[in-house]
Amino acid sequence: MPRPERIAVTAAGVVTPIGQDLDTFWSALLTGADGISPIERFPVQDLRVGQGGEIKKLTRAVDWRRVPDSRATRLLVSAADDLCVQAGERPLNVDPERLAVVVGTALGGVEEGERALAGSPRRFPGALYDAPGHGLGRWLGARGPVITVSTACASGATALGLGAELLRRGEADAVVAGGYDILCRFVLRGFDSLRSLTRERVRPFDRRRSGLLLGEAAALVLLRREAEAGGRRLGTLLGCGSASDAFHIAAPDPEGRGIERAMRAALAEAHVDAADVDFVSAHGTATPLNDTIEAAALRRVLGSRASVVPVNSMKGAFGHAMGAAATLEAILCLLAGRHGQIPATLGLEELDPACDLDCVQGVPRAARPRVSLSTSLGFGGCNAALVIESA
Amino acid sequence: MRAPAIRAVGLLSGWGEGAASVPLDAKAAAAGRAVLEVERPALDPERFRRSRRECLMGVAAVNVMLEDAEQGPAAIAGERTALLFATTAAYAPSNRAFIESRGGSTYFPYTAAAAVPAEVAIAFGLTGPYEILIGGAPATMRAISRAAALLEAGACDRAIVLAVEVFAECADVFARMRRAPRGPLVETAACLWLERGEGTLAFDRRRGAGGRDGARRRLGEMLSCEPLATLALAREAEGEGPVTVTGTWRGESARLEWSGRPYRTRPRAA
Repeated sequence: MPRPERIAVTAAGVVTPIGQDLDTFWSALLTGADGISPIERFPVQDLRVGQGGEIKKLTRAVDWRRVPDSRATRLLVSAADDLCVQAGERPLNVDPERLAVVVGTALGGVEEGERALAGSPRRFPGALYDAPGHGLGRWLGARGPVITVSTACASGATALGLGAELLRRGEADAVVAGGYDILCRFVLRGFDSLRSLTRERVRPFDRRRSGLLLGEAAALVLLRREAEAGGRRLGTLLGCGSASDAFHIAAPDPEGRGIERAMRAALAEAHVDAADVDFVSAHGTATPLNDTIEAAALRRVLGSRASVVPVNSMKGAFGHAMGAAATLEAILCLLAGRHGQIPATLGLEELDPACDLDCVQGVPRAARPRVSLSTSLGFGGCNAALVIESA
Repeated sequence: MRAPAIRAVGLLSGWGEGAASVPLDAKAAAAGRAVLEVERPALDPERFRRSRRECLMGVAAVNVMLEDAEQGPAAIAGERTALLFATTAAYAPSNRAFIESRGGSTYFPYTAAAAVPAEVAIAFGLTGPYEILIGGAPATMRAISRAAALLEAGACDRAIVLAVEVFAECADVFARMRRAPRGPLVETAACLWLERGEGTLAFDRRRGAGGRDGARRRLGEMLSCEPLATLALAREAEGEGPVTVTGTWRGESARLEWSGRPYRTRPRAA
């Protein structure tokens, strides 16, 4: 496989339950802030589990009159506003015709569908899964490609891979790429009915883990070709890989072969040997099955180094952010390299021997990963992995 | 980029199976019908008892494609086959059913946009690169372009590009949209089997350039399926290249231009 052109990540922006800008988010991860709370925005009394990573109020000073009244779009715009601040470019310093947007989502504008069917039919167009991405594109003034991908909870990784491809193919000079999803009754009821949600705390890789909680977030990165990125950068996107499980509509392949293939494909595209991986930002949902499968796949890919490569899952901090999760995990890789610290996995107290990895536990670890691997698994057998190099 | 070769096509639509079923004028053939529906494909009722119609349409389209290639499922199974799926709203009926509480825990996973390609991947054992794009015809054209890139990079040996659209369950919703797609709405599942080919593939997109493809008059409104159906029609008509496909969605126009000979096979004789 030829070595692909290196793609720089020059800035990032987030909105999460533990912080609505990159610096606050990072501080909250390091201090172990807990973003899980009782859900207030919609009724949950009839559900087994009524808590999650809910953003109580969007606090960024955005002119919301310019943004559609869709929570998904507003999360994206909040993250984009932070991205522009972090980049020091508002608006982004690129010809609008050469600015592309690639976002990943598991749910798109489904809450608009709920509202439309409840009696607001004018909201139907917003229910299409690509509506929030186009809302973001309009807010950014992007006149380049605006693309939505939906590989379930791996969407945020797929979006970064496709964004890199747009740059390599010369279709754009800058790409705002990432993922988002909101907490709404639709998804909470769905996961509640599957009994995937825990009534306890989220404990990735812990012996007592009993399921996941859902969270809402949006996370975006600004990608440019490395040769044109200038001095400012968080790091480099080296490779992206994907694979299908072809196993079950909702459950992961118990052997983890899909995520293993995705990791190997990402490493191959990056021209990075598994021995060079310094850190793993894991999917780590805290479901009994996911964490065991993921740990086994990581052991196969990393070989003997699996026991010494630090691993983190951020799901304990604010739940599973679905379409945003993979982008947030990629951002964590970049920030760990920049700040020389790897946050602890919140909720992990007693490592499950079946997840025999070097999970960072209790307190952040002083380490400056150069090359990181980020893993994502989703419904429908979607698997994706990213290889990222810190600046 | 290097153009992929089209080894086989699968087309299943409200008009019937294959390109030969497509009328010369969709509006006239629809005779006032707003939606041309595809009946639930009669696949193994036990294996697919929980599966939704849109998923079965995807599986059935791949079966049609395999028949076109005169190959069995083993020819595409495995990790060297990429699956790229595009849709505008194949998830809408299952989303609606779940919102209106006509679906329980068994059906929640089918609300995901990933449900159709998941069923296809499971049915045919496709374990290679896997991407899902949302949007109208330009999303499918981008999926073809992505498949070409994966083939060129050696990430796979073949790629299945699949698109599915269903309308019947949400026809009232489409009718109420301010910028509703112009009918007749023709339910479709279409796919291509792509391999490394010769010549070049140019993918170009522009905002607000308009331009409706001539095939639309024959096909009706197929949204994301339109480029694949257009390629099936083009092979039926000529069997040689070059071929140009255009499509629009949300003010974006895209154009895919195949130089050389895109088709590796001729349509099978009826």
